[in-house]
Amino acid sequence: MAVSIEWYLLLSAAVFSIGLFGILVRQNALMFLMSVELLLNAANINFVAFSLYWGNLTGQLFALIVIALAAAEVAVGIGIILVVNRNFDNIDVTEAATMRW
Amino acid sequence: MVGKLSAVVLFGPGIEAAELTALFPLLTFIIILFFGRYLPLKGAIPGILATGGALAVSLWGVADIATGAGPRQETLLTFVEGVAGDGVTLTFGILIDPLAILMLTIVSLISFLVHIFSLGYMNDEGEIDLPRYYAGLSLFTFSMMAFVFSDNLLMSFVFFELVGLCSFILIGFWFREAGPPSAAKKAFLVTRFGDYFFLIGVVAVLGTFGTAQFAGADSFVSIATEQLENGGTIMNTFLGFGDGAWITVIGLLVLGGVLGKSAQFPFHTWLPDAMEGPTPVSALIHAATMVAAGVYLVARMYGFYVLSPTALSIIALVGGFTAFFAATMALVKQELKQVLAYSTISQYGYMMLALGGGGYVAAVFHLTTHAIFKALLFLGAGSVIIAMHHKENMWEMGGLRSEMRVTYLTFLAGSLALAGIFPFAGFWSKDEVLFETLAHGLGGSPVLLVAYAFGALAVVLTGFYTFRMVFLTFHGEPRTELAADPEPVRWNVKFPLAVLGVLSVVAGFINMGVLKEIIGEGNLFLHEFLDGKTMDADLDSVGLSAHHYAEVLESDFAAGYEVAELNPLGPGAVATVLAVVPVVAAWYLFRGPDVEPKMTKLGSVRTLLMNNYYQDEYQVWLARGLTLPAAKVANKFDQGIIDGVVDGAGGVSLFAGERFRKIQTGVVTNYAALLTLGFLLLALVFALVGGWI
Repeated sequence: MAVSIEWYLLLSAAVFSIGLFGILVRQNALMFLMSVELLLNAANINFVAFSLYWGNLTGQLFALIVIALAAAEVAVGIGIILVVNRNFDNIDVTEAATMRW
Repeated sequence: MVGKLSAVVLFGPGIEAAELTALFPLLTFIIILFFGRYLPLKGAIPGILATGGALAVSLWGVADIATGAGPRQETLLTFVEGVAGDGVTLTFGILIDPLAILMLTIVSLISFLVHIFSLGYMNDEGEIDLPRYYAGLSLFTFSMMAFVFSDNLLMSFVFFELVGLCSFILIGFWFREAGPPSAAKKAFLVTRFGDYFFLIGVVAVLGTFGTAQFAGADSFVSIATEQLENGGTIMNTFLGFGDGAWITVIGLLVLGGVLGKSAQFPFHTWLPDAMEGPTPVSALIHAATMVAAGVYLVARMYGFYVLSPTALSIIALVGGFTAFFAATMALVKQELKQVLAYSTISQYGYMMLALGGGGYVAAVFHLTTHAIFKALLFLGAGSVIIAMHHKENMWEMGGLRSEMRVTYLTFLAGSLALAGIFPFAGFWSKDEVLFETLAHGLGGSPVLLVAYAFGALAVVLTGFYTFRMVFLTFHGEPRTELAADPEPVRWNVKFPLAVLGVLSVVAGFINMGVLKEIIGEGNLFLHEFLDGKTMDADLDSVGLSAHHYAEVLESDFAAGYEVAELNPLGPGAVATVLAVVPVVAAWYLFRGPDVEPKMTKLGSVRTLLMNNYYQDEYQVWLARGLTLPAAKVANKFDQGIIDGVVDGAGGVSLFAGERFRKIQTGVVTNYAALLTLGFLLLALVFALVGGWI
């Protein structure tokens, strides 16, 4: 039997909230990056759930694109983290604040 | 272009290649500008070749037209295309008719001789910066040539301005001294003031007629004539003027530029100061280029001016008055070139008088003879100045005739022409100017009679100041050691003097108007030439012939002048007497070995004349007392209000930015928080507006 749509949405909201909490409070850049991944995947869950609900493949297609995007983003993000580490000797996101004005 | 070249090969240069008269000097200008300092004689040779070439082309063109060719009108460059019959098309074009080719010949001849003379006056005297000088001369010649063959008013305006710029460059050639830069600035500003009205006039012509062409059935001249003759609504008038009144307004606006350039009262003040420039430049400016440009412009669009009796009267009055007014100031001047400067103003007054008095041919004739004898007089003065080591005061000269034979004889020929003594060139032309004015005046225009009286009085003064100058400079005993042993001048000074001296004697014979009852009208060559009688084509059909002008002039819808039947011998005899008597008087006053200053007896009148009627003072007062405060107020408004608003806007955003940038903490977590809060806020707003809560 199929799981009803509300459960998917609830799961998605929970994952999103965990991600949001992560980017608001984490100082470690790696954790920060992972939180962003959680946000993206919360959206993916929604896409796939509604795709199943409506019987329309467009949502799944979008999910694939978001996964590709997330992969690229991680590559760039980790690059940035490496540079931050080289410059500040740690990867605390609150310390890399010297380029504001 | 290929077609042009083949036309040149087939038919010779002549009128088909008249552009060359401007292109040669333009080319030399570029060459001298970049390579002048490496050239032998610092650029004089290309200049001489170019003006010599231009002279050859012009003479060929005269021969062409005298044997039946022309007129030629061609658009060379269209730089704004009217959209589908709407709006105006702005072009550069070439118009070669008898008037233009005659003027091209004059300009190239004078410019050619001035270049040769410059070898003696500039190169031999060891002046520095000569490439700048020769480049200026070339650009000057180019601008004037292009102005002369312009086929529309806009192109005329463009080159009119360029002529003004070139005179600025050349008058201020010796910019290291105090006088020349200031004189150059004055010449530029005074003529610019007149040109401002000219500019408005050009816009008015374009707005009224939709075209600025000079010749042909579509020209603004033809449209205006058609409108006045037959009525209708083929032209737009503005500000509620009637057709005739609006045409007068346009004519007067353009006249502003003419008065400035041709140094007519009250814009004549720049010209005497312009004597600060090198003497060959003075010769060029006064005889053929800058000053001639104004009179030429009126002659060029004479078909337009004959439509307006008011404009003609103003031209005649200003001309006659200027002729007289300038001549009085020339009476007391002590410097050779100053006398000549005021005589130039006076003689251009005669040309304006002729134009205003309906004597188109007379004006062009006087323009021609004046170009020759005034160039001669200036170059003669230049020769004297070389001999006197750049002393110009006539009271330091005297007795130069025995040491400077060529200069004396040619200068004398030029002076006789200027004074209007039979049979020198000036006699024929000045007499025709006065005769035409008198004939039209007696036909029922009292204004012209007043102008004629001024002109006739000026003849007396002219004879007197001219021969005062001659006697003081060349006769009597040398009054200084320098004058006793003047520096000899070379061939490059004597050759131009000789050419112009001969021309001053013979040039008048092209139009012996006084004798027309005896030799027959058909033998007045210049008259026939300007009337297009020598051409196969009909010059009337494009509205440029002398008798077309006369016809319109006498039509009731236009100026409505009447011509009185008058035998030219009578006024001719009067003019001769008027010219000879003052020459004898000058001889009587300034003869003998020891000359005393005689003009001091005039007392306070002399002081007034020496100070030029305080014209400079009142113009300076106008500038300082009126224009300067007005400019200051405008500056305050500009700086305070216009700039203030802009500066205020900048200041506010600068201040706001200073505060607002503090929210940029650089901490990525804060940004995330702001994003989230912003989103929540947005959601809240949507919720409230959408009525979900």
